[in-house]
Amino acid sequence: MAYVVTDLCCGCRYTECVTVCPVECFHVDETMTYIDPDNCIDCGGCVPVCPVGAIQASYLLAPDKVSWIEINRARSAETPTIISKLPPLPTAEERRKALSA
Amino acid sequence: MARDAVIGACPHDCPDTCSILTTVEDGKAIAVRGNPDHPFTQGRLCVKVNNYQDRVYSDRRVLYPLKRVGPKGSGQFARITWDEAMGEIAERWKGIIASDGGQAILPYSYLGTQGVINGLNVGDPLFNKLGATVSERTFCDSASCTAYMMTIGHTPGVDPESFVHSKYIILWACNTLSTNSHHWPFIERARKNGAKLVVIDPVRTRTARLADWHIPIRPGTDGALALALINIIVKEGLVDRDYVEKHTIGFDALAERAADYTPEFASAETGIPVEDILTLAREYATTPPAVVRIGVAVERHAGGGQTVRAIACLPALIGAWTHVGGGLLQLPIWAFPVNWPGLMRPDLQPETMRVLNTWRLGPALTGEEPMDPPIRSLFVYNANPMAMVSQQQKLEAGLAREDLFTVVSEHFITDTAKYADIVLPATTQLEQKDIMFSWGHLYLSYNNQAIEPLGEAVSNTELFRRLAKALGIDDPFFFRSDDEMIEASMDWSSPVLEGVTLEDLKAKGYIRLNMPAADDWAPHRDGNFPTPSGKCEFSSTMAAGGNFVVPLFRQGYGGSQSGETVDPLPHYIAPNESKRTSPDLAASYPLSLISPKSHAFLNSNYGNLPAQLAQAGEEQAVILHPDDAADRGIVSGGAIRVFNQRGAFEAFATLSPDVLRGVVVAPAGYWQRSNRRGATVHALTPPAFADLGRGPTFSDMLVEVASA
Repeated sequence: MAYVVTDLCCGCRYTECVTVCPVECFHVDETMTYIDPDNCIDCGGCVPVCPVGAIQASYLLAPDKVSWIEINRARSAETPTIISKLPPLPTAEERRKALSA
Repeated sequence: MARDAVIGACPHDCPDTCSILTTVEDGKAIAVRGNPDHPFTQGRLCVKVNNYQDRVYSDRRVLYPLKRVGPKGSGQFARITWDEAMGEIAERWKGIIASDGGQAILPYSYLGTQGVINGLNVGDPLFNKLGATVSERTFCDSASCTAYMMTIGHTPGVDPESFVHSKYIILWACNTLSTNSHHWPFIERARKNGAKLVVIDPVRTRTARLADWHIPIRPGTDGALALALINIIVKEGLVDRDYVEKHTIGFDALAERAADYTPEFASAETGIPVEDILTLAREYATTPPAVVRIGVAVERHAGGGQTVRAIACLPALIGAWTHVGGGLLQLPIWAFPVNWPGLMRPDLQPETMRVLNTWRLGPALTGEEPMDPPIRSLFVYNANPMAMVSQQQKLEAGLAREDLFTVVSEHFITDTAKYADIVLPATTQLEQKDIMFSWGHLYLSYNNQAIEPLGEAVSNTELFRRLAKALGIDDPFFFRSDDEMIEASMDWSSPVLEGVTLEDLKAKGYIRLNMPAADDWAPHRDGNFPTPSGKCEFSSTMAAGGNFVVPLFRQGYGGSQSGETVDPLPHYIAPNESKRTSPDLAASYPLSLISPKSHAFLNSNYGNLPAQLAQAGEEQAVILHPDDAADRGIVSGGAIRVFNQRGAFEAFATLSPDVLRGVVVAPAGYWQRSNRRGATVHALTPPAFADLGRGPTFSDMLVEVASA
């Protein structure tokens, strides 16, 4: 069933998630990360480390976030794997504050 | 608002025993997460336990003692008090003991919770004192343990953290990512350092998909492969002569025996090409450090014990034990200085005890298996046999007996609890304290109690205190507090616990046993195997004593072992049910069925909970190869009936080339109520025992599948 990165990651891309993933199932592009659903083992280790709470179990997604299941599947097939942390995007801190406000 | 993070440990029968942080607000657990400080479990839990608080607060929890008010199995109960429940149990048991003796009472349990004080052995002292029938619990790794003991003794084997140094890793019948997932980062680090990962499994599991080499194998034929590896290693001069001479016994006899098991023979049995068998043997023997991690599934067929005997010979043969990260990993549980006699109290047993193997529960209750006196009362805790035990139909008939007084201690009204006369409410791990061993790493853990028990739920330790009191027992041993039991559960004077205090353990939640560091430790570099000879025994001296189940699995009782003659040399025992060994049966039932652990369940745990059902699938799926499905006109998602000479169950079909042709896969753990016709895969599984240790033979069965 896999976990899913949602749009809360857009503009932040802290990539803390990749530091805990045991199976290297994160992929990345210039805006956010994605989870390869075929490799994800549902351990959920990435959920608490995400500074903006962008990652969610697919079975728990709100109706307006369900489309992110397919987006993760499609984009993870098109983008490279990321295995170590990147610097957050320049907009990250501002966006995190906005999201937690 | 009072908010705390309480350090605990996962209660489940899984090798990983994760360190858990429970967030508690105003006395309520609101979340659990992995403890990032734990060196092995590293801050992650799993699909089963990520929402453990939902299990605790499920509206289906049993929170009060219940008494049956409808017909057996109707699930109609009324609330009673603990005093009434204990009073009735004591009265019934005293009557049964007076008329038929203690043997007419049968305990039935396993590792629904794995804590040292609430788990495997919590009821043993009481049932030993009552002289009840001994419950021989060979659910898991019993064939493997007997074989392992006979070959290399009760050694922890290779430290799972030493795998980072391995260069050749074989996961044999082990789906690490579903059933041992916290070991994976150590394997992954080895691969980053150039190790090759080989997975031997009939199914291209999620672990096999990530391996460098997946070797599909016909179910139940692993012994032929292991013996062929010995054959090739001997024939091609890949033996570590020095190691064999110094630290093993029986090499010449083994070499002679293995001469029969050619790569061609093994290929015909296993379905693996000869070239691949040769390559595996050569790579394994010449890529040090080489390590084998065996999963529980490797024992689940007619020759399961001898398969593990052969595999356990391999590391000594090539001198793998001389390297850090070389050797064999089975169960590091043997490293923990658990005070087993103090937990089981075999000294309380009468001189002779009657023994009933847990896999024979159904026929024992129906009377098909002669029992004199018959079982008149069944006491179930930490287990759900209706969901997990073979001969399900017989068990159902047995549990329906009006004259059988059944008591079940549980979190939920399981398929088994439904048949109880009295149901008792049990606490979950957040509501109790315990000390935890692991069978997948070398950390002793402490589970701090996070919240007060819900309703009138009690821990198993408290349950047995109450039973002892109701039965009029006055030995103070039966009334020790949990803290006293924890204190007595380990040999604190053992060198592996030197410098460890219980207070430190409680505060930190875990502590690594004082073993040498994983980066330096080759446990059998200089031999020192805990066997009768002190060597790796290719030819087993213990075999002379005949077949046995390790006493840990039978309340500490050493008597009445089955004692079948055991050949001291490893050999191949073909499956009971296969095209090659039972062609007539295969004419009617041509497919081999295996029932591995479901990714989202822990045996039958979580088979009733919404989050795990949402992730595993609400209903039992059976995976078939597309060609086998096409031959039968079965389509993806179609309703199917799976059947053999023993029974039938229904499911829906999933088609995947990840399974071998001729093999079907039914992940186990679904409850009867989530199957279309109320039966699970265990309506079909065979009652036969494996050759050693009376392990089950669930991967040794033929079936046919048709559209329903």
